[in-house]
Amino acid sequence: MDELEFLKKDWQRKEKELPKLSYDQIHQMLWKKSSSQVKWIFYISIIEFVFWIAMVLISNIPSSYNGYDVEIIEEIYHRVIIRVINIIYYAGLLVFIYLFFLNYKRICSIDSVKTLLKNILRTRKTVNYYVWFNLVYFGVSSLILLTILINSHADTIQLHEQFTKNGQETVFYVIMYGLIIFLIGIFLLIIWLFYKLIYGILLKKLKDNYQELKKIDL
Amino acid sequence: MNKELQHTFVTLLEENQNIVHKICRLYTSDQDAHNDLFQEITIQLWKAYPKFRGDAKFSTWMYRVALNTAITLYRKSKKKVKTQEIEPISFKMKAEEYDDAIEQQLKLMYEAIKELNDIDKALVFLYLEDRDYKDISETLGISEVNARVKMNRIKTKLKTVLNP
Repeated sequence: MDELEFLKKDWQRKEKELPKLSYDQIHQMLWKKSSSQVKWIFYISIIEFVFWIAMVLISNIPSSYNGYDVEIIEEIYHRVIIRVINIIYYAGLLVFIYLFFLNYKRICSIDSVKTLLKNILRTRKTVNYYVWFNLVYFGVSSLILLTILINSHADTIQLHEQFTKNGQETVFYVIMYGLIIFLIGIFLLIIWLFYKLIYGILLKKLKDNYQELKKIDL
Repeated sequence: MNKELQHTFVTLLEENQNIVHKICRLYTSDQDAHNDLFQEITIQLWKAYPKFRGDAKFSTWMYRVALNTAITLYRKSKKKVKTQEIEPISFKMKAEEYDDAIEQQLKLMYEAIKELNDIDKALVFLYLEDRDYKDISETLGISEVNARVKMNRIKTKLKTVLNP
């Protein structure tokens, strides 16, 4: 006899010793919280939004700018370039909130396995775009902001003058921008690693499963 | 959600709970994990239940949601416990009918199935449950031909386990 046919018979025979839950036990389960990973992916994205928005709000509190005049800060914030960047950023945020919401709605346990995995991978892709959007935004805006700040902070202006007096203006800019780029680089690297860690763990196995299904379907 | 819907759902699930238990057995390796997965599947079934239109059999719909949950939505790091629980406690058959060799073979096969990846496991599960290939292909979202080809490959794989 075919081995699997034999196994099938045994499998069906084993049905008798499966555990039996009562009506009440099952009923109780309906009220327990789901621990599904997809839900967590969505929650983490929401937490991220809140986190970045909080960061933006904190950075708007004048007391966090030690050594700067509120007036100067105000002046900086009214520059056209800063406004444009902010508008782009908030528009981007809105688009991503919408996309995340769509993905969340789309993920539905009654699809076929393949469709479900595809949707989960789509969520993953959206998250990736979101990460890159954030990285680029933070990179570019920090660069612009710091440039403006160098040229308006009393200490750096003084330093700049000293260097210029000694005929070393280029040295000043090289040091300043070297420092800025280095700091921004580290900051971005940390953010990137952080994302890799969270979503990498959550989605690694799902990706493997999707690859497996794709192989079957070739 | 209304009480009546809940009552129908729980009754149906109680009647068909075997399906869920079997999936839990295949996808988990200890009782705790089994219970966790059972609960997760119950929650997913309940969430999806309002969309169940009754044009398919409840059990067919259950296969789909439950397997989806096991393969995708539920992913706790499962410890690789060697498959102790599927040891054939069930063999209460007459000794003259089945000898030790057959028991041993069955055990080996169950172990081999547990070692398969999530997708292959789902295929074998549906096969063991006597679902036809049309059903299998719809549940997994692949073509019927592919399901057959894949199943044949798994059969060969299992044969090599039995006759190394």
